[in-house]
Amino acid sequence: MKLPNDATITTDLLHPLLNTSWRFYLLVAFLGSIVLMGLSTWIFQMVMGFGMTGINNPIFWAFYITNFVFWIGISHAGTLISAILRLVNAGWRRPVTRCAEVITAFALMIGALFPIIHLGRPWLFFWLVPYPSSRMIWPNFRSPLAWDFFAINTYLTGSLLFLFLPMIPDFAIVRDHSTGLRRKIYGVLALGWRGTTKQWHRLETAMSIMAVGIIPVAVSVHTIVSFDFSMAPVPMWHSTIFGPYFVAGAIFSGIAGLIIAMATLRKFLHLENYLYPLHFQNLGKLLLMMSLLWGYFVFNERLTVWYGNHEADMNVFWVTQTGSFSPLFWTMVTVNFVIPVIILGIKRFRTITGCVIASCGVCVGMWLERFLIVVPSLGHKYLPYSWGTYTPQPVELLITVSTFAAMTLLYTLFAKFVPIISIWELKAGKHPSPALFPEGAREHPLGEVHI
Amino acid sequence: MAHKWGLAVDLDRCDGCGACVTACHAENNIPTVGEMQAARGRAMHWIRVERYWEGEFPNVRLKFRPVMCQQCDSAPCEPVCPTYASHHTADGLNAQIYNRCIGTRYCANACPYNVRFFDFFNPAWDKPLQLQLNPDVSVREVGVMEKCTFCSQRILATTIQAKAEKREVKDGEIKPACAQACPAKAIVFGDLNDPESEVSRLAESPRGSKLLEDLGTRPNVNYLQRLTEA
Amino acid sequence: MKALYAMYPDGHAAQRAVDGLRKAGVTDNDITVISAQPMEEFNFSHIGHKTYMWYIACLGGLVGFAGATGLAYITETSWPINTGGMPIVSWWPNLIIMFELTMLGAILASVITLIVTAGLGRRRPALYDPEVTDGKILVGVENPRDASLPDLKKALQIHPNISLKTI
Repeated sequence: MKLPNDATITTDLLHPLLNTSWRFYLLVAFLGSIVLMGLSTWIFQMVMGFGMTGINNPIFWAFYITNFVFWIGISHAGTLISAILRLVNAGWRRPVTRCAEVITAFALMIGALFPIIHLGRPWLFFWLVPYPSSRMIWPNFRSPLAWDFFAINTYLTGSLLFLFLPMIPDFAIVRDHSTGLRRKIYGVLALGWRGTTKQWHRLETAMSIMAVGIIPVAVSVHTIVSFDFSMAPVPMWHSTIFGPYFVAGAIFSGIAGLIIAMATLRKFLHLENYLYPLHFQNLGKLLLMMSLLWGYFVFNERLTVWYGNHEADMNVFWVTQTGSFSPLFWTMVTVNFVIPVIILGIKRFRTITGCVIASCGVCVGMWLERFLIVVPSLGHKYLPYSWGTYTPQPVELLITVSTFAAMTLLYTLFAKFVPIISIWELKAGKHPSPALFPEGAREHPLGEVHI
Repeated sequence: MAHKWGLAVDLDRCDGCGACVTACHAENNIPTVGEMQAARGRAMHWIRVERYWEGEFPNVRLKFRPVMCQQCDSAPCEPVCPTYASHHTADGLNAQIYNRCIGTRYCANACPYNVRFFDFFNPAWDKPLQLQLNPDVSVREVGVMEKCTFCSQRILATTIQAKAEKREVKDGEIKPACAQACPAKAIVFGDLNDPESEVSRLAESPRGSKLLEDLGTRPNVNYLQRLTEA
Repeated sequence: MKALYAMYPDGHAAQRAVDGLRKAGVTDNDITVISAQPMEEFNFSHIGHKTYMWYIACLGGLVGFAGATGLAYITETSWPINTGGMPIVSWWPNLIIMFELTMLGAILASVITLIVTAGLGRRRPALYDPEVTDGKILVGVENPRDASLPDLKKALQIHPNISLKTI
């Protein structure tokens, strides 16, 4: 398939910004009401006391921490697609980068809320900020939660900038294609961008530097989130595998989230001329690879624990494999590994629909995986007298649901105000730099190399 | 020389009466959470008596173990607290500063003994029970962690008194509420740095062992029990 | 006259105009080429490419590294609190803070360099034409000397269809 001509590209991609239907308002109202419900639930929890949740002794972390790790994991979509594919000059990334970076930015914001929501005294969360306080005390830098603060804030800052910088030339396009108030606002957002060769060069250099920088930050962020677990002497938490395991799981769930977002955009914004089945097949292959990698890590972890036969670890092991958590465990294995490998491994099934089905399963499975890491271990620590069970309460369920609505709402609003496909990058992909092509290499409008 | 407070608990004397639990509640203003919350696993017993059954019928034996904060030298609950609410004092105690606690509950997860408790609601005492509250101990608000302090208010009061009288603290002068209440005198408190103290003597006992010692927490509570049949 | 310029339909025409300007004695610094995307396959895209951004990013990283090391060391020693028997200044955990702030320093340094050297946020210079966003390429000279105007006009008029514009 060939991309439309430049004028059509601009018209198509600016269409959502310049035209709004009643369906948009309905969707925003619906999602907004769910988000408001979530916010009021949180206020209810703060006013009535943290006891409204299902947390108890010994299961002191449950839904909120699961959600925290889940959303931070989803946020790794952007880094993979934007940064890594940019660094290896994979041209097919061009229509996909902004979709992915937006997921990163919003998933991070939502994920970063959960450490505050789960606090006993959330109004004091700012004590994690290293500032000279009148109490003359600073945060404890030996604590994984302090590391979380630095890591997530660095990643959030980096991702927001990585998202915003390539939006500047697109804001200039909107500025030049609109009038009145819209022109003024986008004019401010475009920061006076003209498009001189010097500006392009600076922008591309900054993007390259940030692409190189954001990848180690992304790896470190989810590793540090995994340290929240591996630093504690809890059975089946204190494992060295957690760092890589969590990063692989994050990239896995990130790609799944991206596929779902892209398929939704393609359908509702009529982007069939820009997001091709090839994009989904490529992402589907990456998802397949991550599914196999995830399976490899799970196998590693469980074989080591089973072989070691350490009594405390084995209690947790059996309760997930054959005990009360086994329905969740085997569901997780099915939707994370069995189904994706079948759908994505067989070319006939690796269609857009197939990829979306596999991705939905992966999102469910990865949420379950985080839950199964947190709750069974906490419920079965070293002293059997203190073992316990957990039942989620309405506040936790409502807040969880509202974060999915919040993500969808933020994404919808973003697609309304910013072109969801980077117009200049897409057009630039039609004439990539000759440095990327040795003599005789064939060009493809979607990518530099055809696999 | 600085003090290093420790406990010795004689499991052969303990009969599971629970007086220590009651005394601890009274001394430290610990709320009773009520039937429903206790059923949900939120009871706050800074010291609890664990009961284990051993053997098959008819040769069943009942074993009791009072478990309280072990004031570990290498406490896993301390490095993980982001606000230094949980830290180690110079006299060997794990301190919990309620005012610094923002309620992340990481310390409770890290504690292998499950001796850390969270205030799920603001505590309430039906009138006139609030008159029974101990003025030496703060009442904790919702959202903070709390745990056994070896009755630090009693330790502080006695050490201040001894300093004012320009003398050393005598062995046996400080009794936490649990040690004071135990009818079998199973709980002994003292200074592990004083080789003459009774707790140091009991620490040397061949019947002595520590709970979950292999985890490397280096707890300061010695449990004494005869492990072979008489 | 603030600027003299013309709009060209594609990169090849723009390149011819740039070459003409260079022949007319205009230095690269004074030539302005504006496009809606980077045109890396053309020689003119290299105008103004020299940048120290990578070095500034490394410098930003060093600043972040030093800041984090200072923050951790000074705050940990100013009120030494024993946690779990770990050293008061524990390097393994501190390395994490140091890494994150290093990367943050590098990222912020790059962005600040971009904003400053690309002139973003400042009042936009006069030489601009919205037709650029429709795919045309602008080639022009800002503040041209009156004496050289005829040569410049000749260089820019590579084809009778091209209309010269002034601001």
